[in-house]
Amino acid sequence: MTPEAPPAQDTRDARARYTIFAVLWVTVLATLLWRPATTLAPSPPTRSLYDAIEAIPREKLVIISASWDVGTRGENGPQTAAIIEHLFRTGHKFAIFGWVAPPGPLLVEMIARDLARKYHKRYGVDWVNWGFKTGTDAMIMGLAKNIPAIIRQDMHGTPITKLPAMKGVKDHRDVGMVIEITGSGTLLSWIQFWQGVYGTNIGYCPTGVMVPDAFPFLDAKQIRGLLKGLAGAAEYENLLRTHGDASVRMTAQSASHLVIILLIILGNIAFFRRGKRQA
Amino acid sequence: MPYYIIVIGAVATLGIYSILYRENAVFRLFEHIFIGLGAGYGFYFTITSVLDPQWWTPMVKEGKWYWVVAMLVGAMFYLIYNRRLVWMSRLVMVALMGLFAGLTFKGFITAYVPWILASFKPIVLARKPYIHITNLLSFVTLISVMSYFFFSVEQRARVLRGSAQLGRWMAMVAFGAIFGSAVMGRMSLFIDRVAFLLFDFLRLAK
Repeated sequence: MTPEAPPAQDTRDARARYTIFAVLWVTVLATLLWRPATTLAPSPPTRSLYDAIEAIPREKLVIISASWDVGTRGENGPQTAAIIEHLFRTGHKFAIFGWVAPPGPLLVEMIARDLARKYHKRYGVDWVNWGFKTGTDAMIMGLAKNIPAIIRQDMHGTPITKLPAMKGVKDHRDVGMVIEITGSGTLLSWIQFWQGVYGTNIGYCPTGVMVPDAFPFLDAKQIRGLLKGLAGAAEYENLLRTHGDASVRMTAQSASHLVIILLIILGNIAFFRRGKRQA
Repeated sequence: MPYYIIVIGAVATLGIYSILYRENAVFRLFEHIFIGLGAGYGFYFTITSVLDPQWWTPMVKEGKWYWVVAMLVGAMFYLIYNRRLVWMSRLVMVALMGLFAGLTFKGFITAYVPWILASFKPIVLARKPYIHITNLLSFVTLISVMSYFFFSVEQRARVLRGSAQLGRWMAMVAFGAIFGSAVMGRMSLFIDRVAFLLFDFLRLAK
């Protein structure tokens, strides 16, 4: 028995879908290979985060909350790289810390090690990795009151009392800023238990899909600045006067957006023309 | 990173993207490998990064014997399967619910009250006597969207009906912005994979 042939409409839809996928693949491949220079003018939330980091006293520690894993590396990776590059330049000590996504601290450490070589920074002296800690909100609350009690050792098993970067770091008063780099709804814990209670500065680097939800926090001054997905990372690279992964990828991003807008227009024209014919 | 790992990553990436053509055995193979890896990593991670350093080592090697209580309390959850002792599982569940209810209540005050305060904005600036357009827009949006979700009385009055209609349009604009951001985010993730294939796997110059 011969299988039933697919209806003509299904075949047409499949062909249209393949064409869209192919056009997007070609657009991204071509722009990544061609690499025309893209510089994005920094938006106020990006500039605000940059200025807030510049204003942190040098003796204070910055916590990089690595709440992302490979699934959102495309956005959170370039954001992390831009922030760490800035911290290495300003000379702020920072601690990588994971409490939501277990692979987060490891992924951020890979980025930090690459940049540390460039800026001749030493692990344990200029930066540390606290690793992943369980306990979610209760742990975040405890961390504000007693950091050494919660973070007894770093990711590699070294007691944090032996790490020079952690000298004198006791509680929230020794932390200049918490930068939440995330692919999930994790900001609220820092707002609820650090910023809302102690007034700690919070920087926020979410993925693109989470950006609209972040604006009320920015408006209420609960966060000091915001990197809007990959675009935010590219804007930050512009402020740092560097041309990193985010700037390269934003060209492909902009080109793919143009293609999508064009496809939406074409789709609407086709829809209305078909509607007219059927009428 | 060793090149053979990058090759495995590239093959897996292409295998997963084969779904763009149609459902197929290669896609399913890599999908199952991914799920298995995720589950296995979670199990390994729980033992090596949570149970061992945060519970077993303090209890057995550092003489903090009282950590055994954590195991007993944790084990009480499993009494849900025992009809006679099910009340013990309820004890820990109720304690946990109380803990999180308290945390949520405390968190609500610190997280959302500032939003309400931030919504009070001057429409006419005192020093420079002109209308602040963005604040006015924010005010109109706030009131109209809230009136759309006002269900205590039937929306018969013309003013309320018009405001609710405007609120609906404003909400649609917001949903459009959220959808646009979602498209941007998904494209970023796709671009990351393509960049991996081009620069890490094929080793084309960055």
